[in-house]
Amino acid sequence: MTAPATAGAKTATSTNGTYTLACRDMHFYYGDFRAVKGVTLDIQPQKITALIGPSGCGKSTVLRTFNRMNELIANTRVEGEVLLHGQNLYGKSVDPVEVRRRIGMVFQKANPFPKSIYENIAYGPRINGWKGSKKDMDELVERALRAAAVWDDVKDKMDQPGTALSGGQQQRLCIARALAVEPEVILMDEPCSALDPISTLKIEELMFELRRKYTIVIVTHNMQQAARASDMTAFFLMDNDRAGQLVEYGPTNDLFTNPKDKRTEDYISGRFG
Amino acid sequence: MSAEQFIPKRPTETAGDTPEDLYDIVPDGALPQGEAMQKQIAGRRTVGSIGRRAFYSSLIIGIIALLALLYNLVNSMNGLVAREFSVAEERLAGPGNRIEDLDEATLLSLLGDNLSASQERRIARSFGLNSLDELDQVQLVEAVRVNVMKEKVVASWNMTPSLFNRSGIEQQVAEKYPDAKLEWNWWLTPRFLVVPMSSSPELAGIRTAILGSLYMILMTMLMAIPIGVGAAIYLEEYADRNTWYNRIIQTNINNLAGVPSIVYGILGLAIFVQALGYWTSGQAFGFTDNQGNGRTLISAALTITLLILPLIIINAQEAIRAVPNSLRQASYGLGATKWQTVWNQVLPVAFPGILTGTILAMSRAIGESAPLILVGASTFIITDPSGPFSKFTALPIQIFNWTARPQAEFRHIAAAASIVLLILLLSLNSLAIWLRNRYRRSI
Repeated sequence: MTAPATAGAKTATSTNGTYTLACRDMHFYYGDFRAVKGVTLDIQPQKITALIGPSGCGKSTVLRTFNRMNELIANTRVEGEVLLHGQNLYGKSVDPVEVRRRIGMVFQKANPFPKSIYENIAYGPRINGWKGSKKDMDELVERALRAAAVWDDVKDKMDQPGTALSGGQQQRLCIARALAVEPEVILMDEPCSALDPISTLKIEELMFELRRKYTIVIVTHNMQQAARASDMTAFFLMDNDRAGQLVEYGPTNDLFTNPKDKRTEDYISGRFG
Repeated sequence: MSAEQFIPKRPTETAGDTPEDLYDIVPDGALPQGEAMQKQIAGRRTVGSIGRRAFYSSLIIGIIALLALLYNLVNSMNGLVAREFSVAEERLAGPGNRIEDLDEATLLSLLGDNLSASQERRIARSFGLNSLDELDQVQLVEAVRVNVMKEKVVASWNMTPSLFNRSGIEQQVAEKYPDAKLEWNWWLTPRFLVVPMSSSPELAGIRTAILGSLYMILMTMLMAIPIGVGAAIYLEEYADRNTWYNRIIQTNINNLAGVPSIVYGILGLAIFVQALGYWTSGQAFGFTDNQGNGRTLISAALTITLLILPLIIINAQEAIRAVPNSLRQASYGLGATKWQTVWNQVLPVAFPGILTGTILAMSRAIGESAPLILVGASTFIITDPSGPFSKFTALPIQIFNWTARPQAEFRHIAAAASIVLLILLLSLNSLAIWLRNRYRRSI
């Protein structure tokens, strides 16, 4: 049930053959510096996959290759394949705008637009060629906010700026914003790192709800969060060249209770004896 | 053990004895302790309070300088004048009467009796009207005093001596100009704003200069804001900072912001007035009034545009750079294109900052005189500017010209014009600040 731990291994033994997102021997470079080395990873549909590992191990970089967000940084380069339903996202004919439309993202720090709550949600559909009526948009906004479990908090203040909400509400607003364009996958880059435990719990509950429809990939520093709120876990580590690589990948319960790799065991037990 | 049940382990101490000096970090005597520490802290506080006082004094000096400037302007703007008349007041108004007390019909008949029809038309035009019938009583009094009584200012004083040495001035006037009438005069009157230039200071106004300045600022802003903000957006959002040509462009823009304005004047003279004279004179568009002379409003506006472009670009760049990257990422993450991200997210957030830079640039533009002199602002213009190909004058040009004249009266109206320029500047700035604050509230 685990992906190969050694870097550069070609074959991906996917857990059951079906996957939404996948990396195939993916290398990532910042200029000349190789930040990620030979990652092969299958993300299963309608599961929460957690990427864990120490700081600088490349887990956020891997997450950002899934929606080509790294391209916004100059001098970066991807080798190998990143597949969405078998289609290479880095193919010549693929527009990064389309990739980001299909794979949504929630960021570490909640970043609502400095506009009204309504406009925050309506922005995504509008820029992607929305053709519905004003009434349809009202309904869409409400559905997105309900799906992100933030409707009850904001329903009476749709005209107020999104930035005036509390941290946890802002982050759920950002999730609602991502849902409003109905992506196939949602990437979350440490979405709870700035939130208190209660807000964190709400986001985690929300992830479990969203799992019914969406495939979720989450990067987290919080081992307990990975352990309790994910189905699959991938453990990354920096090698001697400071390049991140995938060490072990498997169902969360197996990886935390019965790690196959010594390094995984050291990492988990080093912090949580 | 299941995945849900992790109990964090307590940190463990290192085994064995810790050496005693492990936490002796600061060498003995290197940091003051006890009383020495208190003295040292008091010393640091003293330095701080000296600094605070120094900054406070700078502020006071600034305020004093500003007040001195204002006093100087107000001091010249009003005061006593001695006027002589070739026709005595009693002959027109009757013994014991004052000309100011006559009614409109009497004043009109006085004008009609003493002046030709063409003279009357000229007077009406100098008030911006078509016929003398449209003048009100105050304007008629002035028309009579100037044209029938042939009023002439023979001496003038500033406000301060007029207030505190009135008897001395009266004595002086009685000796030197026995026929003169001593009156308090405000040089900045509503009339001063609405009448055009004249060769005698009592009659001169700044109508053409105000209109010229306003036209020029309007045209300058119409050209400079789109070009400047566009360049800033390109440099910040599209250009690759690391390429050598973009670095050269950036360095050049920064340096251009510091080039003296007279240099821009030389540039404007060479390019817009001379090389492009066919277009800037309006000849290319069928305006033949200038005979191909490019010393027009559009040349001035183009020159001032060049002058303030670097300012606008640099300030807009700062404003765009201050937009947090997380907003751009959020927009891209939803599938926005670069254009959508810049237009919908970056620019609205950067807008107040861009406006601040524009205000600064506008203040600079409205006060510039050196480049305008070079591109040929005229100093004696009595017709309103009618379009981009008009000859023109501007407030700073007018002020500069008046201060250079030998008659003392011109210095009074130069002060009055300076006050108008300051008020114009303040109102344009307030308008821009009001716009900015309104916009800030709406987002």
